[in-house]
Amino acid sequence: MLKLTIDGQQVEVEQGKTILDAAKLAGKEIPTLCHHPAVPPAGACRICVVEIVAGDRPGLVPACAYPAKDEMEIQTRSERVLESRRMTLQLLLARSPGSDVIRQMAKEHGIKELPFPEQTGENGDDCIMCGLCVRLCQQIIGASAICFDGRGPDRKVSTPYKSQSDVCLGCGACAFVCPTGAIDPADYCPNPIEKIPNEFNCGLDSRTPIHIPFPQAVPNKPFIDRENCIRFRTGGCGACETICPAGAIDYDMTDEFVEEEVGAIIVATGYEIMDPSIYEEYGYGRYPDVVTSLEFERMVSASGPTNGELTRPSNGKPPMSIAFLQCIGSRRETGGKPYCSKICCMYTAKHTILYKHKVHDGQAFVFFMDIRAGGKNYDQFVRRVVKEKQATYLRGRVSKVFPRGDKLVVRGADTLSGTQVEIAAEMVVLVAAMVPSSGVRELSQKLRVGYDEHGFLLEAHPKLRPVDTNTAGVFLAGACHSPKDIPESVAQAGAAASKALGLVCHTRLSREPTIGVVDESSCNGCFECEGVCAYGAIGPREIKDKKGNVLATVAFINEGLCQGCGACAATCRSKSIEVQGYRDDQLFAAINAIHR
Amino acid sequence: MSTNSTVTESLQRAASELLSDVNIAVIIGYGRNGESPFSHPEFVRKPEDVERLVFDDRCFGNLAVYLSKDAIRRMGKIGIVVKGCDLRAVNVLLREHVVKREDIVLIGVPCTGQGDPLPHKCSVCEQRNPQGCDIVVGDPVEQPQINAEQKYSDAADIDAKSIEERWEFWSGQLSKCIRCYACRNVCPLCYCKRCIIDKTIPQWIETSAHLRGNVAWNVARAFHLTGRCVGCGECERACPMDIPLSAINQKMAQLMEEWFDFQSGLSSDEKAPFTTFSMDDSDTGIL
Amino acid sequence: MTQQTSDSSEQSEWQPRIVAFLCNWCSYAGADLAGMSRFAYPAAIKIVRVPCSGRVDPMFVIKSFEQGADLVLVSGCHPGDCHYTSGNYHARRKLLAFRELLTFLGIDPRRFKISWVSAAEGAKWSSLVKELTAEVKELGPFETYSKILTGENGR
Repeated sequence: MLKLTIDGQQVEVEQGKTILDAAKLAGKEIPTLCHHPAVPPAGACRICVVEIVAGDRPGLVPACAYPAKDEMEIQTRSERVLESRRMTLQLLLARSPGSDVIRQMAKEHGIKELPFPEQTGENGDDCIMCGLCVRLCQQIIGASAICFDGRGPDRKVSTPYKSQSDVCLGCGACAFVCPTGAIDPADYCPNPIEKIPNEFNCGLDSRTPIHIPFPQAVPNKPFIDRENCIRFRTGGCGACETICPAGAIDYDMTDEFVEEEVGAIIVATGYEIMDPSIYEEYGYGRYPDVVTSLEFERMVSASGPTNGELTRPSNGKPPMSIAFLQCIGSRRETGGKPYCSKICCMYTAKHTILYKHKVHDGQAFVFFMDIRAGGKNYDQFVRRVVKEKQATYLRGRVSKVFPRGDKLVVRGADTLSGTQVEIAAEMVVLVAAMVPSSGVRELSQKLRVGYDEHGFLLEAHPKLRPVDTNTAGVFLAGACHSPKDIPESVAQAGAAASKALGLVCHTRLSREPTIGVVDESSCNGCFECEGVCAYGAIGPREIKDKKGNVLATVAFINEGLCQGCGACAATCRSKSIEVQGYRDDQLFAAINAIHR
Repeated sequence: MSTNSTVTESLQRAASELLSDVNIAVIIGYGRNGESPFSHPEFVRKPEDVERLVFDDRCFGNLAVYLSKDAIRRMGKIGIVVKGCDLRAVNVLLREHVVKREDIVLIGVPCTGQGDPLPHKCSVCEQRNPQGCDIVVGDPVEQPQINAEQKYSDAADIDAKSIEERWEFWSGQLSKCIRCYACRNVCPLCYCKRCIIDKTIPQWIETSAHLRGNVAWNVARAFHLTGRCVGCGECERACPMDIPLSAINQKMAQLMEEWFDFQSGLSSDEKAPFTTFSMDDSDTGIL
Repeated sequence: MTQQTSDSSEQSEWQPRIVAFLCNWCSYAGADLAGMSRFAYPAAIKIVRVPCSGRVDPMFVIKSFEQGADLVLVSGCHPGDCHYTSGNYHARRKLLAFRELLTFLGIDPRRFKISWVSAAEGAKWSSLVKELTAEVKELGPFETYSKILTGENGR
């Protein structure tokens, strides 16, 4: 271990680490531009220079590249360091006056005057020639698509002969790592640059292949999207493995199929928002400032694509007026969903509050049909929104949204005053219907759970058994059953969990006795019964002699799974299956009674 | 349509090899006694007895019926001589788990028909060259194209009658039934250990040879074979009262082909129409 | 139900007898609803409750004819709504095929009806029973079978 003193503070680092590593450990901040933890250092920008006062040849060295040595004494903010840094920044600022990053850094270092002529317009170049992109592309990604081309003042980062690159992967890593945002791979990559849409943010921003899906994910760990990851596509990069301090990245991990035998299953597959593009009159997909309620939710979230700043997708400015259109796709007998999506009135009221929070002088409008606020304190909440003028509530449907100038005109009805209204809004939020998650139909067929025409799963009884399904052992919770909000979902989840526990906590399972029973002496083992059983309750059973030789394989009905429908009994040609309570002799007795 | 001495020779040779080399317990085939008009089943266990096996144009009989007999299954691995129609029955037995494929050796025989004049079932046969056998003895024969009208002509004759005429016909025919159950006994697919006719508690079908019970018996027989019957015609051939059972079987087979595009016994992993369903099955005729 | 002696049945007008196999969850509940809603329908119908239309072995139809039914009805849930997911799909295939078999043998297919009646269709149930009773009254007693019963024409 090496002992260093940085700004008077002692710190220990391993052999091979740089001064910058030691400074980080000591808690000393040193600004950098051309440094990235995953990329080998070059010491190109000279921002990170520090002064060696003892332990090595005294002078200014770049902290990111210079190796730490034992007994070194470093000063990170000596007069010499600060002067050098200021000079460097002034040069950079002259070269790249348009770069926000350079300007910010210059401001932080108290630079007010510029002794050099500003290279503005065409002469200005945000590229500070730090070489991060080049080093990254060569050494980490392994594509070597870009390099330094030319000498002296003509030196630029470019592809060979400034031509379209044959080898650029379009991964965008160069743009990702550039400290000033100067490089755009679209300039030389003939392939379309595929930004990976961030699914959790409804595609409003992009993400990297290795990512944590959303902030409160369980487990809260990143995973690698193999289809887009450069390491899996080309064998290059591997930056994540390099910098992970825990050594947690293992590219050899593969998806596993996990098989578990369980006694109960709770289906809680949730919901999605309906895509409102089918309603062409609202312009979703055509006008960038028309968004869905879920997209709005992400935009105002601090962990969202704009870190919580509400901006218009068209011009990046905050919307000074916003219209929320409720019941988009809900409560429609034709051309949508006939049901009420239940949660929207409440969350739209919440959205108006959030909106006013972000845009103090903004004006919000809500077009509604009815206000459904039936929960505890819900009605008071909505009334408060209206009373405190968080939003203007207009009772009526909207017929059309169309652009006028740089705003969107929302033309709707105000039935309470009996007029048509037009609102010029800078943003329009379509409060779209709640639909069950896609793929739920295939899952419910596998689980043998019924679903209605909308894809909502069927409960066993709408009043008395709202969390059971007709299949024993499968329970429902949440929006997969019907639209509902968080407190209701939580309550249902608790109910479903307790029902599931109720199944497994007993030593004996009690159930209705009207189930099928196989007469093993006459069963031929043809298993046509197995083919008609909707519950998978029938399987083979081997009849063995005392020595263990299999004498016959007959059908066997699992008492826990059989629901007593009798399809097996009707199918069995030798009549080797009887359904207790609906046996053949019982039914014949009923038939025979007709002539009395 | 004559005695085929070369096929018989190949058959005997193949049988001999099987019995000496591959540990087969028994070979089921056809035998003849001199000039008898019918063949009888032969169960050959030793190589020296293979000369008892023959194959010619009077090898009626669907030997697959023996594959469901416990006494024979217990012997061990079974070799069986199959014509195309017989092989279809074997496929149904396979799909219904009556025998396992690895427990049988299929000795296929190309066949241009049995009997003179050729019975209807042979004139509409589409399986003259049995497919998927372990051994085929004999050269492939010509397979003429058959159309559906020909296949189901016996059923069509009945369909041409009015309801009253049909009842007139069938009540007459089924009155003749003496409940010998030869139709059941000779059918390879009637293998139930306890047939529905034998179930007495409760009794499903009356056992006396009276029209009422005869109707119930013949309806049950036909319906239990729907989607399974391969049209080998043995039931009709065995019936001592000459009841035209093939017509009924043909009608149901025609229905299965028209409604579900299904023909029984063409492969051993087909799905029977009554153990499957489609959400789009027709509702025609349902109130 | 009072017992009728054979004398009185010969003297009084013939009353049709319809045997109906109703699935517990839909058709039986629909018939129940008809009762609760006070929709009237003829008493010609004798209901046998089964858990599912898939429980009905087609031989029940023959049994019913043998016991003197003039019409047999099997009624279940609408396709897609079966309480047991697929029972009615199997019933649909088998019962329609069985009816073809009966028709082929000369047994009048109008004597065997199949319907889908849901638990909410009390009105449909009562109008269905009225319709079937009227139809079977017109068709008359099921002589094909009753003649076998009495051993007429030497059969």
